[in-house]
Amino acid sequence: MDLFHDKSASESDGDTTDSEESVYSGLEEEPDTSDDEEVKNDDKSDSENGDNSESDDDESDKENVIDNDTEDKDVNEEDTNTVNVAAKNKYNDKNNTRTTSQTVEDEYYHDSSDEEDIRNTVGNIPMEWYRDYPHIGYDVEGRKLIKPKKGDELDEFLQRMDNPDYWRTVTNKMTGQNVLLTKEDVSLIEGLMLQRTPGGAKETYEPWIDFFTHETMIHPVTNRPADKRSFIPSKWEKLKVGQMVHAIKMGWMKRSTEKKEKEDDEPKYHMLWKDDEENEATRRYRANIPAPKATLPGHVESYNPPPEYLFTKEEEEQWLSQEPEERRMNFIPKKYDSLRLVPAYSSFVKERFERCLDLYLCPRQQQTRMNINPEDLIPKLPKPKDLQPFPTQQAIIYKGHTDIVRCISADPTGQWLASGCDDETVKFWEVLTGRCMKTLKVSGTPRCIAWNPNPAICLCLVAVDQSLLVLNPGLGDKILISNTDSMIQNKETSEPAGKSPPLSWTVCEDDQYDEGYRFILSHPKEITHVSWHGKGDYFASVMPKGDSKAVLIHQLSKQRSQNPFSKPKGLVQCVYFHPIRPFLFVATQRYIRVYNLLKQELTKKLMTSCRWVSSMSIHSGGDNLVIGSYDCKLTWFDLDLSTKPYQTLRHHKKAIRQVSFHKRYPLFASASDDGTVIVCHGMVYNDLLQNPLIVPVKVLHGHKITKDLGVIDCEFHPTQPWVFSSGADGTIRLFT
Amino acid sequence: METNNIPHVQARFFTKQPQFSVPSAPFSVQAQVGTCDLSSLINSLLNEGDGEKTNVDFDFLIDGEFLRLNLDKHLENKGISTESLVDIEYIEKQQAPEPEDSLVHDDWVSCIQGCKDCILSGCYDNTVRLWSVKGSPFLTIPGHSAPVKCVQWITDDDSTVKTFMSGSHDQTIHIWQWDSESNSVDCVAACRGHAGSVDCINIDHTKQRFCSGSWDKMLKLWSAECEAVEDEDEEDIPHKKRKTSRRKVQTRVPILTLSGHNEGISAVEWIDTNQICTSSWDHTIKTWDLEQAEEISSLQGSKVFLDMSYSPLNRQIVTGSSDRHVRLWDPRSSDGALVKSIYTSHTGWVSSVCWSKTNEFLFISGSYDSVMKLWDTRSPKAPLYNMTGHDEKILAVDWSIPSSLLSGGADNHLKIFQYKQ
Repeated sequence: MDLFHDKSASESDGDTTDSEESVYSGLEEEPDTSDDEEVKNDDKSDSENGDNSESDDDESDKENVIDNDTEDKDVNEEDTNTVNVAAKNKYNDKNNTRTTSQTVEDEYYHDSSDEEDIRNTVGNIPMEWYRDYPHIGYDVEGRKLIKPKKGDELDEFLQRMDNPDYWRTVTNKMTGQNVLLTKEDVSLIEGLMLQRTPGGAKETYEPWIDFFTHETMIHPVTNRPADKRSFIPSKWEKLKVGQMVHAIKMGWMKRSTEKKEKEDDEPKYHMLWKDDEENEATRRYRANIPAPKATLPGHVESYNPPPEYLFTKEEEEQWLSQEPEERRMNFIPKKYDSLRLVPAYSSFVKERFERCLDLYLCPRQQQTRMNINPEDLIPKLPKPKDLQPFPTQQAIIYKGHTDIVRCISADPTGQWLASGCDDETVKFWEVLTGRCMKTLKVSGTPRCIAWNPNPAICLCLVAVDQSLLVLNPGLGDKILISNTDSMIQNKETSEPAGKSPPLSWTVCEDDQYDEGYRFILSHPKEITHVSWHGKGDYFASVMPKGDSKAVLIHQLSKQRSQNPFSKPKGLVQCVYFHPIRPFLFVATQRYIRVYNLLKQELTKKLMTSCRWVSSMSIHSGGDNLVIGSYDCKLTWFDLDLSTKPYQTLRHHKKAIRQVSFHKRYPLFASASDDGTVIVCHGMVYNDLLQNPLIVPVKVLHGHKITKDLGVIDCEFHPTQPWVFSSGADGTIRLFT
Repeated sequence: METNNIPHVQARFFTKQPQFSVPSAPFSVQAQVGTCDLSSLINSLLNEGDGEKTNVDFDFLIDGEFLRLNLDKHLENKGISTESLVDIEYIEKQQAPEPEDSLVHDDWVSCIQGCKDCILSGCYDNTVRLWSVKGSPFLTIPGHSAPVKCVQWITDDDSTVKTFMSGSHDQTIHIWQWDSESNSVDCVAACRGHAGSVDCINIDHTKQRFCSGSWDKMLKLWSAECEAVEDEDEEDIPHKKRKTSRRKVQTRVPILTLSGHNEGISAVEWIDTNQICTSSWDHTIKTWDLEQAEEISSLQGSKVFLDMSYSPLNRQIVTGSSDRHVRLWDPRSSDGALVKSIYTSHTGWVSSVCWSKTNEFLFISGSYDSVMKLWDTRSPKAPLYNMTGHDEKILAVDWSIPSSLLSGGADNHLKIFQYKQ
């Protein structure tokens, strides 16, 4: 190793000289101050050629890798020789040129292409432009660079013959001086020509010297004994741990596991839109809201406006009297003969300021306006026109009553109508003509009237105060009438029940029988409502103040009454039988309860959300019902859907007195104290998935409001889409 | 100069009434002339020749429709070019019917029919009344136990013994024989079988059979024999009281019962000897064949039919229904537009309609708005005349006597209007 080192060092010596020499060759214009010194130095280096010098040690270290090619040794020796010669040549050249300069530094140390150009400032131009001039350009200070003397052909020839370095002497075009290429330059050129690495002799693949071995050493690198502090527990750490333990105990600090758990509990959200991450500044930049444009000036703003824009006296006075905010325009249009005469606009600064203020104060925010047509939000309902037939016009007025007509009921064939009035009469009417066929005087106010829904039975129930009258009106088919009477007389003898019946049936005779009375059921309290079962055998009566006997169910064929409820909850308003199944709907003030009569249990409880239920009507299918209430609400329940209202209609302005379904047509009507009957289309579909369609179709006016009461009762014609209504004005009206 | 600017129409006038004929040369008339101007034009044409001065009001028809507006408006509405020659038919104007008499009843008049010089009316006080055309009462016949709903003459000849029948709410039809000389009436037969009020009866042209429609949805055919056959096996029905007749009243049962309607039958009409037509509350008009005893065709309406009338002259049907309209139907057509035209002028239910027996274009209608209207089928927009006078609903109208229009209503009056041909 040592040997190798030495050799390389000796070689590097040669190299250093080489490099110095090449520096000289390049530098000509540097102001030469230490010329002699350099020469001396050179001499010295010459003399010391081949020695190891301390100063060159570093360089040799650097370059030993480059030059340790043993094969080139001979060449190197040769080179050293040539270098020496060249150095001598150089001195000659220096003597020839006045502008030689020398630097101690290595040329490549601060080599740059700019530095060369400093000598000639003509730039990158074809140098033959200076062919006919004595100078070749200008230096930095503007002085001419005089061309160096060039020998003639003969000199050239002699040079070629004599000078062994001629082959590596080239002329610098910029300065016109000869440059002797160094050994490196030559080898570089040669390398380039041979397409080798431009580095010349540089070793491409250096041998790997493994300074730090990967093998684990058994001995430590240092043998220093361990510090004492590495054996005793740290006081500061102890303090720190103590603090942390305290913090954990106090709950100020969470352990990592706990933190994780907490994180796991929280739902994880992800940014869905990249825009959200954008910071405020860039978003503003991106979503730029341009300032609102100022309105362009019109003819009024012209210096020479058309005369119609100029103010008249009155207009001007008005303008002056107005507040600045009220003014139509903020200036008075004025006419000038020429633009030259237009004075400076006095309120320019003010106007600009206001504009700036506007821009500053105006809220710059993009409002995401929902372009929703308000009509789209309304559910698509069919037009009432397409839902014909429904009653639209008043057709017949049934006149004859002198007081409030409390109740009406149409017979199942639709030929007759029964009505009860506060003048203590019950009248029977022919529907077609409006003719009163029969008038019956009763001893009290008829509260409710109900015609037997079975067409084969000709009976009518009238609730008069505390007695429930079963009447045979004697209208319609004679055979039916007689059959009904004989059926009543041949009552089914039944075993007397264990309990005593809640009330007894009084069979009417003689005069009363001839008038049509068949039975009188005397109740202990006032009866407000009666209703038939669909088959016409059972009927129910309601006494709201009857306590335990509030609801009674009577059977016609056995002439027997029974009490289904020991104690009804709340004040019973009305009861209805389910049209198909053995259910009983009991409406109290706030709730509708549906009882299964067979199982004798409560099936459903409907929340009406009304203050006071006034009336109820059940759809012929039995799964839907409407409820009218004194707080003006009409509520539709779909029993399949929920116990809450399916839909609530608030079309009436006053209390609803009665609601009624049509038995065949998809119609229902509500009568109210505001004197109107509202007819709605209420279609119930067989398809369970389709909800009922409810469309209000017609408001029927006609009844006069008397004593703050409007329409008291309404009922549909059993076969036609006609509705009867009875009012406080003593009339019954038929709408068709 | 100015006259040139007024548009003119080339018109040719013709008439089917030969006493009013004018030359058939076309005239140029101003486009906006009305019927009065045209009428005076025809009158001046008629008065040109002879010395007699006539002054007749005319009505004008273009393509079978009355001219009611100005000529140009009418042509514009009908889409007829004013450039071409327009044929205008003219007829003597229908004179307004004049109220003649008012017959007071004790109760609502539910039905009327006239015959020659007699008028038969049914009343809600359970009686049938006989009146002369002049307005003097002949007889009041109590016989029914419930309001009478329909009356019908059987004989319409001049014989002294006349027969008629009446149907009632008590579900029976009574056939009566009236001797006009002795002014006595006999109940010939009581037809029982209906299970509802008998709302309509109608006799066929041979006067042998009649049919009745009832609220019980049934159509029944009965024999109209009037000879009092001594019938031994007469049924005795306990609930029926017969006060009017001393001798035993023959009880008749229907020859045929037809069912098919879903609601009560409101009117029945004979189309020919074997076909009858019924209108019902179930919104249909059905035609029945009596030989086959089955339904032939059915016309579906949209409202309850309250009355129907069939005209043998033009074989068309008019119906009154529970809306305000009178509709004209052709029972023979089964497809296309069933309703040929709608006459709208009433403001209440049209309770009764009746064709003219002599004029195929004219019919009358009575309504719950207490107005009777005379219509011409050629004037679909407006009636010819409104006949007011009733204070209450009109329940029945009749035009069996060609010279008088009868109407009866809920104000207990039967009004007679003189109709001049």
